Amino acid sequence: MPNDTPSPIDLPEPELEESGLGWAFGVILIASLFLLFANAVSLRDWIEDQHPSPVQARAAEYADQWVATTEGLGIGLPRKAMHTRWKQVEETRFARTTQKGRAVDGRD
Amino acid sequence: MLFPTLSFGLFFLGVFTIVWAASGSNEWRKILLLLASWVFYGAWDWRFVALLIGSALLNWGSAELIWYNRDAPAGRRRAIMIAGITGNLLILGFFKYYGFFVEQLGDVLRSVGYARDLPLMQVVLPVGISFFTFQGMSYLADVHAERLAPARLLDVTLLMSFFPHLVAGPIVRGSDLLPQFEESPRLTRDMASMGLVLIVWGLFKKAVVASELSTGLVDPVFFDPAAHSRLDLVAAAYGYAVQIYCDFSAYSDMAIGIAALLGYRFPLNFNQPYRAASLQEFWRRWHISLSSWLRDYLYIDALGGSRKGFARQCVNLMVTMLLGGLWHGAKWTFVIWGGLHGGVLALERIWDRIRPPSLPRLPRVLGILITFHVVLVGWIFFRAESFDAAIAYFRGLGRAGADSAVLTPLACALIVFGMAIHFTPADLGQKLALKLRLFPAWALGLLVGITILIIDVMRFEGVAPFIYYQF
Repeated sequence: MPNDTPSPIDLPEPELEESGLGWAFGVILIASLFLLFANAVSLRDWIEDQHPSPVQARAAEYADQWVATTEGLGIGLPRKAMHTRWKQVEETRFARTTQKGRAVDGRD
Repeated sequence: MLFPTLSFGLFFLGVFTIVWAASGSNEWRKILLLLASWVFYGAWDWRFVALLIGSALLNWGSAELIWYNRDAPAGRRRAIMIAGITGNLLILGFFKYYGFFVEQLGDVLRSVGYARDLPLMQVVLPVGISFFTFQGMSYLADVHAERLAPARLLDVTLLMSFFPHLVAGPIVRGSDLLPQFEESPRLTRDMASMGLVLIVWGLFKKAVVASELSTGLVDPVFFDPAAHSRLDLVAAAYGYAVQIYCDFSAYSDMAIGIAALLGYRFPLNFNQPYRAASLQEFWRRWHISLSSWLRDYLYIDALGGSRKGFARQCVNLMVTMLLGGLWHGAKWTFVIWGGLHGGVLALERIWDRIRPPSLPRLPRVLGILITFHVVLVGWIFFRAESFDAAIAYFRGLGRAGADSAVLTPLACALIVFGMAIHFTPADLGQKLALKLRLFPAWALGLLVGITILIIDVMRFEGVAPFIYYQF
C-alpha cells in the first residue's frame, strides 16, 4: 500500500500478526445482534418508513411484535429511559430573566 | 442512501459479507464492489449511474491514448490530456454551472439593453459530481506526467465509483487507490479497529452534534436573520462553524472507516482545522484532499505556483481560491468565500515578506483566534442563501439585544464540545484503536453495539443530508 499520504488507519505501533477478518466479522455480528435486541424500535421505525407493500405491511407487523417482545423482556427499557432523559436535555431552556435579574417564568 | 441510516447499515452488512466471501478472486471482488457502488449511487437516481460510467470511460480512454502516444511529441500528449480534462469540465459545467452562467449572461445582456430569452433549463445536479470529475481529471494529469501508469477499465471505473468516497469524498487519487486494487487486500485488526472507531465517531459527530446544531440553532437563524437577536446570530455563526466541521469530517471519517473495513486505505482528510494559527495552516488541515488537489493540479501545474515571481504567486493564490470557492457551487457567496480565503492567504505571504525581522511573531494562541474568526466570517458567506442575506446577517450582528429565542444549554454545550475536540491530542483515536484491537470480538462487539445504541438515542429524528452532498 502507498504510504506517501498519511492515513488515520496507519496505527503508530507494529501490526498484530493475526488476521483481522474473522475478528471484525465477529465484532460486527455481535454489535448487530445486540442492536437487534436492544434497539428494536429503530428497526420498526425503519420498516414503517419503507414504501408500502404487502411485504412491508407484514414486516411492520412482525417488527411491532418484536418491539413488544423486547419490551416485555425488559431489553428495550434502557433505550426508552435514555431517550426520555435526552429529550429532557434537548428541551431544557435558559431561564429568561428580566433586567432586575428575576426569572420571567417564575423560577428564581 | 445516507451513511448514518439503517438502510446503509444493512447495505454495508451485505457488501462486507459478500465481498470478503469472494476474496479468493480479486477480479470478482472488484466487480462486486463496482456493482455495489452502482446500487449505492443508483439509490439517488439510476440515470446518473450511466453518467458515472460515461465519465469513467472518458478518463480511461483518454489515459490510454496519452499512454499510447508516449513516444509522440509532447504537444500531442498534452492536447489529448487537455481534451480529456475539457470533457470532464464540460460534464461538470453542464450539470453544475449551466443555469448559473446563463442567468449571469441574461443579467449582463439586460444591463446593456439587449434583453433576450436565453435557453434556461432545470438541470438536476448529480450527487457528488464535483468529486468524481476532479478524481478523473487528476488521474489524467498523473498519467500525462507519468506519475501513474494507465489502469485497466475495471480499475478506473471502480476508482471513480467506489461507494465510500463517491458522493462526498475524500478525493482519493489514482496514485493512492489504483495500486491497492492490484491485489486482494488483507484486513488486519489495526484496520478493523481503527475503521470501527472512525465509523462510530463519525456517526456521533453527524447524527448528534451536527444534526442537533443544524436543526435547533443554525437553520432557523440563517433562514431569517432579521428576526433574531445579536446573541442568536453570534451563536449561530459559531454553531455553523462546529456544524460544518462535524458534518463534513464525519462523512470523511465514516468513508475512511468503511473503506478500511473493506481492506482499503484512504488518506486523512481533516486534522483539527480550527487549531490552525494561519490560513495557510488551516488549508493543510481542512478538506486536505481538495486543498492538496487544488495546490498540485491547479496552483502549481496549471498556474505555475511561485515559479513566476511573487506578484504572480499572490494572483495564483487568489485565482486558486476563487475557483475553489466556485467548485463548491454556482453561487456568488461561494466565490466571495473563496476570494476572502485567497485574499487572506496572499496577505499572509505579503506580511511574511515585509515583516521587519525585529518584530516578534504573534503568539500562537492569538494566531489561532484570528485565523478562526477569519474562517468564521467566511462561513457566514458560505452558509447564507445569497449575498444580500449574508450582508443582512452582518448588519444584525451590530443590533442591540441579547435575548435568545433559540439558544439552549445543549446547543452551547455542543459548540464548546465541537471546539474542544480540536485541542485534544491528534492521535487520540489511534491510541483508542490500539487498545481496542486487543479486545476479544464479543467484548468489542458489545461495546460498539452499546455506543451505537446511545448515539441512536441522542440523534435527532431523521437524518439531514450531509452538507457536502450538494457539491
